[in-house]
Amino acid sequence: MSSSSSDVLLPVDSSIKPPVFLHLGDTEPLSGVCVLDVTLPFGKTVNVEEISFKNHYTASVSVRLLRTGPPSQWVTAVRDLPLMENPHTEGSDVMVLFHQMQVDPDHVISVRLILKQPSSTWRSFSLEDIRILPHKQQDPEKEVSDWLSDLTLADQHTDLEGLPPPQSVSSSLQQMFALTEVMMQSNETTASIGRFHVDGCYDINLLSLL
Amino acid sequence: MADKEKRRSGAAPPGMPDGKATKSDCDREFLSQAGVGELLRGAILKMVEARSDDPIGFLADHFCNLASVTEPGTAGCGDADQMNNGPQSAQEQQHLNRALWHLRLAHHSQRSAFSNNVCVAYDLLNSTGPRRRAAEVPECPEGSCNDSQTEMGGGVRGGLYTQTLQCLCSEGGVPASTSAPLLRRLHCQDHEAVPYDVFRHGVLTCAVFSDYIRQAQRLYAEVCCPDEGPASWALGMAVLGTLREALETSQGSEANCCVNANTKSNSCLEANVKAKRYLEASAKISPYKLGQAMATAQTRGPGGDMDAKEFENAAAELFITRVKVLS
Repeated sequence: MSSSSSDVLLPVDSSIKPPVFLHLGDTEPLSGVCVLDVTLPFGKTVNVEEISFKNHYTASVSVRLLRTGPPSQWVTAVRDLPLMENPHTEGSDVMVLFHQMQVDPDHVISVRLILKQPSSTWRSFSLEDIRILPHKQQDPEKEVSDWLSDLTLADQHTDLEGLPPPQSVSSSLQQMFALTEVMMQSNETTASIGRFHVDGCYDINLLSLL
Repeated sequence: MADKEKRRSGAAPPGMPDGKATKSDCDREFLSQAGVGELLRGAILKMVEARSDDPIGFLADHFCNLASVTEPGTAGCGDADQMNNGPQSAQEQQHLNRALWHLRLAHHSQRSAFSNNVCVAYDLLNSTGPRRRAAEVPECPEGSCNDSQTEMGGGVRGGLYTQTLQCLCSEGGVPASTSAPLLRRLHCQDHEAVPYDVFRHGVLTCAVFSDYIRQAQRLYAEVCCPDEGPASWALGMAVLGTLREALETSQGSEANCCVNANTKSNSCLEANVKAKRYLEASAKISPYKLGQAMATAQTRGPGGDMDAKEFENAAAELFITRVKVLS
């Protein structure tokens, strides 16, 4: 199983958020499920080729990918892939590589790894040294952030005789646009004066009795 | 004998002969007693914040205002009644003027200076409570506590707040008819107490609106420039139409961008979407798009004129419909 590109593939610059352990209710001391979010560099999508990591007592792993393009959705790429032969006994904790995914891992913004360890033998479990390798080494020169590539290119000149200069009109409009945006941002943070609040009388349940 | 000495040497301790060293000492003592250092420091700090074009006028105004602060105690018993009569007593008017002076000091784009000034103005207007009596002694053991309660009042009086907004708009060069719909969204009734957040939002909105209207007036002048007559209706509406499209794009609909509940809390996705929307919105008011819109409007042929007032009202409407109604 060799990858198609022969040179060394550089892993994508990603940051891994602190693991979140899921609990049922409040009293469980040990959790058997952990969620790791891996965020990819801002503004670019990645075509994932491989995900590699070192296993540290995790029994199985599922991988979910957040893909872009309207609409953005989470899809499950790998479901409950076993990493340890027996969850209770010492298994392999060597580096595991895989790239068999059930869906096309293209245009990915974010990767979520869901780790499961049902055995209470191990007090903690995780994956270390997680690396995401892109499909082919992406050419940095030609690459433009996907925000900009979505804008269409402008054609050349239209006939502007007898019209006011678009540059100055545009700059005035841009200032008016910016001023309106400032006002709208202030809108969002305003408290209300409570004009229609009458203490105790606005219980939504009372309204439903009508 | 000792009295004579005191009178001659001012603040010098009695019994000491007048020498050069003592004179500068007593000068220094006089200055520190009068608190002149603090006064000047305050004045210079205010000046640096405001960066006004007329430093002498600014300082004159500043000291005038301070002088009127130190006078309220001398108003006397007779004026205590006046404070309760009618919606606008002399003291309230004075506070209003001073608050407006503070609000004029910094432009709203100078965020921290503007916020400070709004704070000061709010405190000024807040202290004008209807129950404030300078001369009467409150009939309770905790006299000072009662004073501070009436001082707080829970907020600025609604009528005073509305007046502040009106003055801000008119001083900013906005005609009353243009600002009327805006004030209808922001104003407060006289019986309502305005909290700080609402006050700040109102003041900021009026300041921004004044800038916006001045800009719209300049825009009209640019749009009708080639003909040197009133601009054509189609052209004016086309120009404002591009602005309307840009504003609608930047607010955009949330509906089509996420399907799973999971994606809503993904902050990098949200930031992505916002950035894209802003880029799309600003592309709509680019010179290229404007040129297209104007050329299209021109090909529609003559169809009536749009005078300055109509243009201003149309532009104002774009802004005002996006102002949140106070409730």
